[in-house]
Amino acid sequence: MTAALSLLAARAGKRVLAIDVDAKGDLAAALGSPPAGFAPHVVQHNLSVLELRTDESFQEYLNIYFKVPRLTRLTPLARVFDFIATGVPGPRDMLVVGKIAYEERRKEPGSGSPVWDLILVDCAAGGQVESHLSAPKAMLTLVRGGIIRAQVEWIAALIRDPLRTCVVLCALPEEMPVTEAIELHERLRNGSGVAVDVCVLNRAVDEPVTTAHRRLMTELIDPEHADVVAQHLGGSPAPLDAGLDLQAHLYDTTARYARQLRSKLPMPVVAVPFIMDRTGLTTTRAVADALSSRLS
Amino acid sequence: MSADEVAPVPERRRTVRNEPAGLGRNLASLEVVICCGSGGVGKTTVSAALGLAIAAAEDKRVLVLTVDPARRLATALGIKGIGAEPVRIPKARLRRAGIAMTGELEAAMLDMKQAWDRMIERYAPDRATARRILSNPLYQRITDSFVGSHEYAAIEALYELHDAGEYDCIVVDTPPSRNALDFLEAPSRLTDYVGSRLLSLLSGGPSRFGFRAMNFAAAPFLRLADRLLGAEVLAEVSDFVRQLQSLYDGIQGRARSVYRLLRSPQTGFVVVTTLEQGPFGEAEFFCAKLREFKMPLRAVVVNRVLPDVFRDTGGVAAATTLVEDPKVAAWLSSELGARVSADVARFVGTTFLNRSTLAAREARQLSKLSRLGEVPIVRMPLFSEEVSELEGLVRIAKAL
Repeated sequence: MTAALSLLAARAGKRVLAIDVDAKGDLAAALGSPPAGFAPHVVQHNLSVLELRTDESFQEYLNIYFKVPRLTRLTPLARVFDFIATGVPGPRDMLVVGKIAYEERRKEPGSGSPVWDLILVDCAAGGQVESHLSAPKAMLTLVRGGIIRAQVEWIAALIRDPLRTCVVLCALPEEMPVTEAIELHERLRNGSGVAVDVCVLNRAVDEPVTTAHRRLMTELIDPEHADVVAQHLGGSPAPLDAGLDLQAHLYDTTARYARQLRSKLPMPVVAVPFIMDRTGLTTTRAVADALSSRLS
Repeated sequence: MSADEVAPVPERRRTVRNEPAGLGRNLASLEVVICCGSGGVGKTTVSAALGLAIAAAEDKRVLVLTVDPARRLATALGIKGIGAEPVRIPKARLRRAGIAMTGELEAAMLDMKQAWDRMIERYAPDRATARRILSNPLYQRITDSFVGSHEYAAIEALYELHDAGEYDCIVVDTPPSRNALDFLEAPSRLTDYVGSRLLSLLSGGPSRFGFRAMNFAAAPFLRLADRLLGAEVLAEVSDFVRQLQSLYDGIQGRARSVYRLLRSPQTGFVVVTTLEQGPFGEAEFFCAKLREFKMPLRAVVVNRVLPDVFRDTGGVAAATTLVEDPKVAAWLSSELGARVSADVARFVGTTFLNRSTLAAREARQLSKLSRLGEVPIVRMPLFSEEVSELEGLVRIAKAL
């Protein structure tokens, strides 16, 4: 979904940076690119992607703000930094948010205009995104002085500003993801205070099986015509009944969970149909097209 | 008792075998069954169904330990809720759902906070240290934020339950994690964390004069940290890690015991996956890691496999004609004696072809299953109804 939204924004002329927090290469692959690495990597006009890694984030942070030279992992000092970054709660999550905030603030050297119009972040799983977004708030209770406090205050304000930051919830039409999306919204609202603007129900099955479809199926397998129908169609149509049953079930399930989301979430719920292709740029384009038609 | 001394496991109840079936029977001899896999593959449901299958097959007291706070497991088991205290699933209710139980089934949900607090209380050298750690603001957040904290708490709770010997078999639904490896690495990671020399550096180590006096080389870091965070923070962190370090011996000993249990023949890992690219790739990786760690993989459950009917070649041919032949609607109208619209014919064909495309992809993945290991591989069909009540779970348990 992050990749599809990135494509849509790039098509609309925005300069887009897509960030993969899990750094597993999924986002780059969905944009038809090899694994991107820590620096923004151009995947097409107006669209770049980068993958976050905590240790590199921390070193870059020190390098940017405090001119501390980049360190190899082997130096004792680097290991101390690693410890702080990954062991002590708060800073680890802050680094993720801090890197994103840094990219948000970056300016073109010549014109001074922002490098990116829009940054889209493919977040970690539900529990982690919550701790990422609430990290600045938590850090403010921990860091009462020092240079970092000013940075953290700025990042905390960025997260809470609904004109600059919003969350797009994503769910599948299944019990667990829907429950998690509703609970995550509740926790985000009470925790980080970030705006949650829209919920996307992905892999929705939105075409119902009608009586006309069922009637045709019954006729196709009616013993009176079965042989001649099978001969004309090149095979027995009997198995097609299973396709209709599954479609009907998935349609009902989608409708039920869409209703549940709409009743529990104070925001638009956009259903995006299930695209059958493999993960990759083709699928991302198809999802982007579907999303575009739904959003418009 | 020091953590290095492993308490003898109490003699378990004698078991009476009864109509064993499938995977339930295969796993019934184990004392610990750990279900692993990436998120969203149906791990919680498979764990509950496995517990059910084992307790149905043999006269055993089985506990399903879940870390998933969603109400799904409770609903599926036909009970109001699951907490840290094990809840027994009434046999009468199970009988009504269509399964006769020989043994007993209980379910519990991991209480993360409680598991961490108990660990601190167990390993702290004295009550005062335990109290200081438990009331430290950093500790308050560490249980949520520490890398692998869910995994560590789950494994700690498992070890305790096994050690107590109240259950013949404990089925663990591991935490939802994109990288299931976290679960295996949690004990050693915590040991490394608490025992690291870096921690010594920060905590002042053996020097009574503390960090600044101890290590001249750390001076640049100290200056930088002071400038970045303010001196108070470093002092707080330093104090906290010094307290944590007093737990090291206990945690190290427990980590060794946990690994012994995880590698023992009484333990079995069950990897749950779907045939989608992502989860399947992670399952392959996880199985390879189990071999590397010498931990026993006992079975692979491939969940939500599309039924074979979607690979029927006759069905595919018929569906293709319905979708692609522009004259098929007219022919059908004439042959069937009723008007058939092209859209309706196309829809009937498309719904089948869409699923047969996925089924063909799944078939290619199925051919790679042997890569996961020479263990029983159970394919669970995609049921057309959701598992939201006990009857659904019983159906899966029987399929296992």
